[in-house]
Amino acid sequence: MAKTDLLQGTLDLLILRILTLGPNHGWGVANRIRQMSRDGLNASQGSLYPALHRLELAGDVRSEMKPSEKNRRARVYTITAAGRRRLEIEHARWQQFALSMRRVLRAE
Amino acid sequence: MLGRLVAYVRGIARRRQVDAQIDDELSFHLQSEIQANVGRGMSPAEARRVALRDLGGLTQTREATRDVRTIWLDVLWSDLRHVVRSLRATPAFTTVALTVLTLSIGATTAIFSVVDTVILRRLPFDESDRLVAVGERNLKDSSTSSLNLAAPQNFLDWRDRQDVFTGLAAVAYAEISLRREGDALPENLRAQRVTADFFSVLRTAPLLGRGFSIDDEVADRAHVAVISYGLWQRRFGGTPAVIGAQLPGQLASFEVVGVMPPGFTYPVDTYVLGAREPIDVWVPYVFSSPDRVRGNSFGYNLHVVGRLRDGVSIEQAQARMDQITASLAAETPRWFTDRVAKVERLHQYVTRGVRTWMVLLLGSVSFVLLIACVNLANLMLVRATTRTRELAVRAALGASRWDLSRALLLESLVLSLAGGTLGVAVAWWGVEILRSAMPAGVPRVANIAVDLRVLAATALAAIVTGITFGLAPVLQFSRPTVANALHQSERTTTVGTRTRWLRAALVVAEVALAVILLVGSGLFLASFARVTTVDLGLDRRDVLTVQVRVLEIPANVQQASQRNRQLLLNVLDRVRAIPGVEVASLLGGGLPLRGDLRTVDFAIPGRDLPRNTDIDSNQISPDYFKAIKVPLLKGRLFIDADSQNAQPVVILNQAAAARYFDHEDALGKIVRLSGIRTVVGVVGNIRHDGPESGWRTQAFVPFAQSRVAGATLVVRTTPGAQRILPAVRQAIWSEFAAPAIPTRIDEGALEDYFDGLVAQRRFNMLLLGLFGLLGLVIADVGIYGVMAYVVTQRTHEIGIRMALGALPSTVLLSVLGGALVYMTIGLVIGVTIAVGLAELVRGFLFEIQPHDPTVYAGVLTVLAMTGLAAAFLPARRAAAIDPLVALRAE
Repeated sequence: MAKTDLLQGTLDLLILRILTLGPNHGWGVANRIRQMSRDGLNASQGSLYPALHRLELAGDVRSEMKPSEKNRRARVYTITAAGRRRLEIEHARWQQFALSMRRVLRAE
Repeated sequence: MLGRLVAYVRGIARRRQVDAQIDDELSFHLQSEIQANVGRGMSPAEARRVALRDLGGLTQTREATRDVRTIWLDVLWSDLRHVVRSLRATPAFTTVALTVLTLSIGATTAIFSVVDTVILRRLPFDESDRLVAVGERNLKDSSTSSLNLAAPQNFLDWRDRQDVFTGLAAVAYAEISLRREGDALPENLRAQRVTADFFSVLRTAPLLGRGFSIDDEVADRAHVAVISYGLWQRRFGGTPAVIGAQLPGQLASFEVVGVMPPGFTYPVDTYVLGAREPIDVWVPYVFSSPDRVRGNSFGYNLHVVGRLRDGVSIEQAQARMDQITASLAAETPRWFTDRVAKVERLHQYVTRGVRTWMVLLLGSVSFVLLIACVNLANLMLVRATTRTRELAVRAALGASRWDLSRALLLESLVLSLAGGTLGVAVAWWGVEILRSAMPAGVPRVANIAVDLRVLAATALAAIVTGITFGLAPVLQFSRPTVANALHQSERTTTVGTRTRWLRAALVVAEVALAVILLVGSGLFLASFARVTTVDLGLDRRDVLTVQVRVLEIPANVQQASQRNRQLLLNVLDRVRAIPGVEVASLLGGGLPLRGDLRTVDFAIPGRDLPRNTDIDSNQISPDYFKAIKVPLLKGRLFIDADSQNAQPVVILNQAAAARYFDHEDALGKIVRLSGIRTVVGVVGNIRHDGPESGWRTQAFVPFAQSRVAGATLVVRTTPGAQRILPAVRQAIWSEFAAPAIPTRIDEGALEDYFDGLVAQRRFNMLLLGLFGLLGLVIADVGIYGVMAYVVTQRTHEIGIRMALGALPSTVLLSVLGGALVYMTIGLVIGVTIAVGLAELVRGFLFEIQPHDPTVYAGVLTVLAMTGLAAAFLPARRAAAIDPLVALRAE
């Protein structure tokens, strides 16, 4: 199955969704997206980090440096209350968008 | 909204730190991905290549991630530039806002600095909350709730019998006059006599040398002294060799045994103990034999301080002192019936006299801050409304509510931080002025300065102010939808109802607050005016007083008295010859306006006066009444013939004559005070204790007919002739030829003593007057701003009205009428609140009721006149609108 590039703006939605499962670091988020989409979505990892930092500045996630295995330090992101609200809105918007797309494509 | 603000600020604050961590974050990602790829069966080299590819290149990703942060900094920078540009585009608004902020924050900080130092701050001693004052209280005297000074023997008994304090120390005022050395005239040092435990109770050890021990309290030992850091530097050049050096007092030399650390002062209202400036020297209190008489009723001169033992509460200490008092009363029943010992926290004791006053200052200045905040909210509101269209366009172009709010919030923050910074400068300057204007006797005045705590409080005030008035426009704008706001262009004649109400409420609040501030100013102004115009019974202008005291303890009192009198009369002759002297006289006894008194027993032979009748006794040279311009009502003044060997005579004041001789003529009556004397004259009353006290019964006897150990030269000079002082001092020294006769002189002008008495009233009057003025200006600026805005908003409507035939005068009156409505509501609310608040300051007023109608009428007139004047400018502009221009302007 060919990997699909993400639509503009959907990466934030994906990140927020993954973080509702629990705090995670960047690599963990990327990995989760890969797993949960069964390798169908390739969050270009290059755009993942700017997106995470943008979300943090917008107050949707917060982060802190935590030591991980092998003495490395990883930045762990947690979704905030504002982030959850945003996720809800974006989620609804996405449903609406997907529904509209489907209607148009199926229309005879 | 708040969460975003926090993230925004945090993001900026953490930028540098996060930048450094991005490398860590990305390398963690790469390592994890490589490991995972190896797990999928790739070779290490392959795994690394794929991981880097998926990341889109390490450097590129790092730059892209950093850019996110940097862009935010750019946003802040551009926000700031936008704010500065828009503030500069409206210089009138910016100037008014900054001025109001600077003055209000400056005033608040300055006053808070004063209040903080005087009453809030802890005393500068280790565990100062364990320090207590112990004093006596006369249960029969309900006029005062403060502690009185203690009698020496009582202190000794307390100290021997108590077990609740780690130590109990007593302090009394003393004066040390240094011997004349070379050309230098004698220097007067301010001193305190303290008992052995004084320094250990305060837990302050001398910087050099030692403090006192119980051995130093014994009489007839070598005199020792501990000196202040200031005196050490001033007189001994800071040399460590000062220990063992001599301090040459006129009566005795003191061996310096210790030097206190810089800044050490004992903050008890030193005025109570007689000193007005920091203490230079501490010497041991030596208990004399009269001191040791139990039941000695004349020597209440000790302030007592103790430190509570660990675990002892103030109530327990009080209970113990009650027991001790009871046992002393049982041993000496005649004495102790009405007098009890009371324990009070030292901080409370120190601040007791000034606490309500300080609260008054803080309360008044908080109204200034309040009215400033309201004014700024109003200004920002007007500003935001005029920009509604601009904001709506930005919103339509995609700016989020957050983007718009951020600009407005940032604007108010920039303004209030700038105002706060300028305000601190004003405060620094204001504190200098306040400190020098403080009346004598306020504790810890020397320590008043803008300090870090006050700075923090100011910063908080600035930011709260910023958010308060920044938020009003944000809320106001956030409400209408973009479409609504776009629609609501200048073409529409009315503004949103909410906005209008909010603005009206703010103007009303400003006027009401201004009323409160002005009523305060009015009451204090009137009080001060009344105090300074009270008839003192004497003319205080251009009167110089120079007190001469002979310090020696003479072997032959009679002889010394003769000599002193002659020397003083010689001085008087010399002084009369000084150019600029109009009348020179001598006064023994209590100098007016100084709180000095000397009373003697008074009796009238053949009459039954109550026991303990006494009268103020003064010894004067014949010209005394001329010098202070007290009128002779009956009989004669003294003449040179009233000499030592002539018939003993006395002059009474009117109060004494009226009290003891009623309607009879007092002249020729025989009275007994310091011997049998004949009344030869009656003079007018003077308010000896100042404008706020009544007449005393006073008697005057000839200087030539009394015992003399010193006197005060009371000299009327030609106007402004204070400069004769050096000549007067020279005259004294040349007669007394110190150190042959140890002498101390102190000088001052009657006018200065009077100023000292009314200093607190003057201080309050100036400060509240200033606050009132500030409130008035701020309220008028508010009225002007709002009316000007209303006129701008209604230009189109007014244009139509005038095109339809409305007269300019009608338009003018309608704008003024609008202002009048706001003002009337504000005035009514303000007066209602002011009437309630004025009751709280009753204790600070002099001969004026808190509800004095004249003051209120004056305030209302001033506010109404200036408010209408402020509204008149925009009203005239409205009346001058040209309908054609107004209608075409769209």
